[in-house]
Amino acid sequence: MTIEVQGVRRAFGDVLAVDSISLTANPGEVTALIGPNGSGKTTLLLMLATLLVPDQGAIRIDGLDPVTQPTEVRSRIGWMPDGFGTWDALTVREVLLTVAAAYRIAPEQARARTDALLATVHLEDLADRRARVLSRGQKQRLGLARALINDPSVLLLDEPASGLDPRSRIELRDVLRGLAAEGKTVLVSSHILTELQEVADRAVIVARGRSLETQRLDDEHAMTATASWRIDSLDLDGLTAWLADHHVPARRVGGGLTEVEVAGEENAARLLADLVRDGIRVTGYARSQGALETAYLAATEDRR
Amino acid sequence: MSWHGIRTVAALELRQRVRTSKWPVVLGIWVAVIALVAFLAYYATNDEQLRSGEAMYDVVVFFVLGLAMLIVPSLTATSVNGDREHGVLATLQTTLLTHWDIVLGKLVAAWALSMAFLVSALPFMAWAWFEGGISFGRILLSLLVLVLVLAVVCTVGLMFSTLTARPIASAVLTYLTMGALVFGTTIGFALSAFLVTEKEQQTVFGIPDNWYDTHQPPNIDPSDPTLTQAQIDQLMKAGQPTRADCTTFTRTTDVAHTERIWWMLPLNPFVVVADAAPSEPRHQRDGVSTAGFTPMRWISGGVRMARNGPEGVSDECWVDQASASSSQDPMEKALGTAPVWPYGLGFLLLAGGGAATVAGRRLRTPIRRLPNGTRIA
Repeated sequence: MTIEVQGVRRAFGDVLAVDSISLTANPGEVTALIGPNGSGKTTLLLMLATLLVPDQGAIRIDGLDPVTQPTEVRSRIGWMPDGFGTWDALTVREVLLTVAAAYRIAPEQARARTDALLATVHLEDLADRRARVLSRGQKQRLGLARALINDPSVLLLDEPASGLDPRSRIELRDVLRGLAAEGKTVLVSSHILTELQEVADRAVIVARGRSLETQRLDDEHAMTATASWRIDSLDLDGLTAWLADHHVPARRVGGGLTEVEVAGEENAARLLADLVRDGIRVTGYARSQGALETAYLAATEDRR
Repeated sequence: MSWHGIRTVAALELRQRVRTSKWPVVLGIWVAVIALVAFLAYYATNDEQLRSGEAMYDVVVFFVLGLAMLIVPSLTATSVNGDREHGVLATLQTTLLTHWDIVLGKLVAAWALSMAFLVSALPFMAWAWFEGGISFGRILLSLLVLVLVLAVVCTVGLMFSTLTARPIASAVLTYLTMGALVFGTTIGFALSAFLVTEKEQQTVFGIPDNWYDTHQPPNIDPSDPTLTQAQIDQLMKAGQPTRADCTTFTRTTDVAHTERIWWMLPLNPFVVVADAAPSEPRHQRDGVSTAGFTPMRWISGGVRMARNGPEGVSDECWVDQASASSSQDPMEKALGTAPVWPYGLGFLLLAGGGAATVAGRRLRTPIRRLPNGTRIA
């Protein structure tokens, strides 16, 4: 159930929405699609969701072409659009039952599936209320349930976390991890990096309609990649002098903090041990930004 | 395309319509207005000597058609682009529903709702039936035509809602199309009648113009005491032409060849409905005449006359009472000729089929060319 995108391009009139994006998303993994606003994430997902024909390039979902075999692809994917709309007059349960009917799921099976999904997204209490009364975050959760109704093996989620409260975000993360653990392919677009850092196995960074790089986000990567660490100390001058003596590249950041660049967690731990051994009174020592954030900022630097 | 898919979309549409709009209110107003019109038609035409059924029926059917053509487009004219604006169309398009399921489902839903309007007008048609003068077959035929015309109106609205990005634009275009069908065809016919009117030699059967020159009425004085009343009548009659005086001659006159432009008229839904089931000719039936106000019959006769064009020989031998009734009224004659509504209905159904095809194509995904200003999801 791999998603393969090869050199895809799509223009709307003279606006080039997607210039050239290539990516691979594997089953059992959560792949993040990150990039600034207007970088072509949503357009790419529309093409994956069989709604839009790419001008160039090829898309294969489980080896199937969404342009020539849309029905086969549709039965395998679950798509959650950005800014999901609902039929306001229907109740939450009716929305899901209607979509289930549209997927030709037998009524009894559909009812069971609907109840299970309402529990997953914690909307049981609101099941018989009109969809109109839902808040933005609750609508997002309904959108996720809708995308899961046909038990898809490929999930395409466009900004699923926007509008969610902190608890719902954590739950969304668990749902996505659970789906990946079941062997499904999950492709999530977002620009909330800290969120993705925790849930994604790989990140594809896109900017200006191009895929810039694919980054692994697993533990092994975190252990070896260069990262910035922030040090808070009671004697700032002593710390600065110590770092200068030991040729550690450092810079002052706001709030009396000092930021150093360290390659890998092993070296970061050694630096802290050395500081403490030499009597620098350290009160705080933490990563300043995730690896994903670092990569993202580096990749999209030219925007400034 | 499958019946299951169409039913799913239709159920979704109907549920939304019934819950979001004030349908009970609209339907209530509709019934009240039709009831009012039916009562007024009844009082206007009710008479000891006349049957009012036909006049009532004509008025009610035309009113139902006119009002339905105002209400029905609003059922479909915003249904696709409205869904797009709410971001719910793509939700259906990514399921196993085909574009035909969506188009036909929406059509079935809108058509079912327009049937609700028609059904609520049925009691008043039944009332006209009880008043007498209309055959059951006539009611059945005009209802069938009404049902089909309303289906076409629904389809046209649906097509425009797939063609434009904004619901307002599609609603306006749909009403413009309705206006073109109802008023445009009539105005077009009236204006182009001048184009087909020519000075021509026409054969006439009647009293030649020179008859009166040669037959001067006798100069008599009615107060002359030497003449009895019978003699005066005799002399007066001698000065009048009789049927025997009618001859066939030719004359140059303006002739409108409406047979070249008649096809515009049956495109009008009102003409189709009227011509499908005009009232029976006015006649004495068990001593009670039918009412004189029969607009459907007039429209039907007029359009058939236009289709037949000018007669080969114009019968103008109107001399006395007896010969006037024996020579037929041209409209009565035209009503005996072939009907025009099959052409009109055929055209409307073709237009409806075309509109449905366009709507279906516009909903096909994946989309290759995206029209300006349209959003997908």
